[in-house]
Amino acid sequence: MQRGRFCVTGNTRWLTAFLIVIAVQSIGVFTLDAVGVISLSSSAFPWLATVLGAFLFGFAIVLAGSCATGTYYRAGESLVGSWLALIFYALFSAISKTGVLATGVSGLRSVTVEASTVHGLLGVSPWLLIAVLASAVGLLTRHHLRKRPGAHLATLPPRKRGIAHIIFEKQWGEFTTALVIAALAILAWPLSWATGREAGLGITGPSSNIVNYFVSGDAEVIDWGVYLVIGILTGAFIAAKGSGEFRIRIPDAVTTVRSIAGGALMGISASLAGGCTIGNAMVNTASFQLQGWMAFGFMILGTGAATRLFITGPSKARSARNAAAREGAGQGAAAPGSPSQTAPGHRTARVSVRR
Amino acid sequence: MAVHVLETDGQVCPFPIVEAKEAIALLDLGDELVINFDCTQATDALPRWAAEEGYPVTNFDRVGDAAWTITVQKT
Repeated sequence: MQRGRFCVTGNTRWLTAFLIVIAVQSIGVFTLDAVGVISLSSSAFPWLATVLGAFLFGFAIVLAGSCATGTYYRAGESLVGSWLALIFYALFSAISKTGVLATGVSGLRSVTVEASTVHGLLGVSPWLLIAVLASAVGLLTRHHLRKRPGAHLATLPPRKRGIAHIIFEKQWGEFTTALVIAALAILAWPLSWATGREAGLGITGPSSNIVNYFVSGDAEVIDWGVYLVIGILTGAFIAAKGSGEFRIRIPDAVTTVRSIAGGALMGISASLAGGCTIGNAMVNTASFQLQGWMAFGFMILGTGAATRLFITGPSKARSARNAAAREGAGQGAAAPGSPSQTAPGHRTARVSVRR
Repeated sequence: MAVHVLETDGQVCPFPIVEAKEAIALLDLGDELVINFDCTQATDALPRWAAEEGYPVTNFDRVGDAAWTITVQKT
């Protein structure tokens, strides 16, 4: 993940990569189910909590700077902002799952409808849905591979050779990363099953379990999922260290506040929706559960709303102000054609404020 | 030709690229924008943005552990 810069909140190329993970994984999951290694169970669909939680979650991941998994691996990369987001995320998911907010959360989650899976609702074989999904994903992938700028893309000068270069330096393409993750996500099912935890990949449950363990000392809650998230953390640490990308990075004041607020909101909303980006949008979608797809859709809506509010909106406003200031100042400040290389004194408008 | 410097250390994605877009809009044609950043994901996002916009990248290197610099020319 660290090497592929895996991030769900990124953009449409990543969204395609994400859909690859779902499609490949659903083939694996239903095959495993068919041969009897695992058995997919279904329960009633808590639509209200899912819609609400997923929208809030989409909102929260923009605030926190990444989704739950992203927070884990960025924390391993030593971004202090992600440490804060992670701590508050785990804390608030424990509060919402087993703490003071648990009654509210389970109350909202008790509002259900009987239908639970997409194929069950439509009355068709899941394999039909898999075929449709796989072909759509195939077309999208081809579209993105075609418009890839390829050779024009600037790359960093290599410092390592051979295997070490491929593992630690070369940027992993998002589609390669997607295939690796899909393979891991499929593997996760029987592995987790073998330990008695009957589910696929998950992040929120284990995070809450860790907090419960620390607080109550009850070792029973340490399950496969807990080892998984600890694995993500150490894996990202090793990857970042090996790539020379490990350095404790302190966020600025705004980022700090956003990380804390985003992490806390992420914990509550993931518990409401019944999963984070991974548990719901990647794993529950692969088994074609209504909760997964509904959450996926509302997560994207929430992310879009927050992006407009916190990123593109303010950015457009600043650009407009900058343009107006430039017009007003005439040719004075940004005298064109000046041949000299300018010292740090000559900086663009927003630069001097930030460090 | 002028060289402008944009410091984005401490900011996480997508903010470095958002700021880079704002900053480059203020530049004159032929000017260069040096973007210093420490967000790992921007090592992918910034060169890709430059390539998609057709801006030449005149320098792209590490300046230390988890710290990078990229120079993009406005064309």
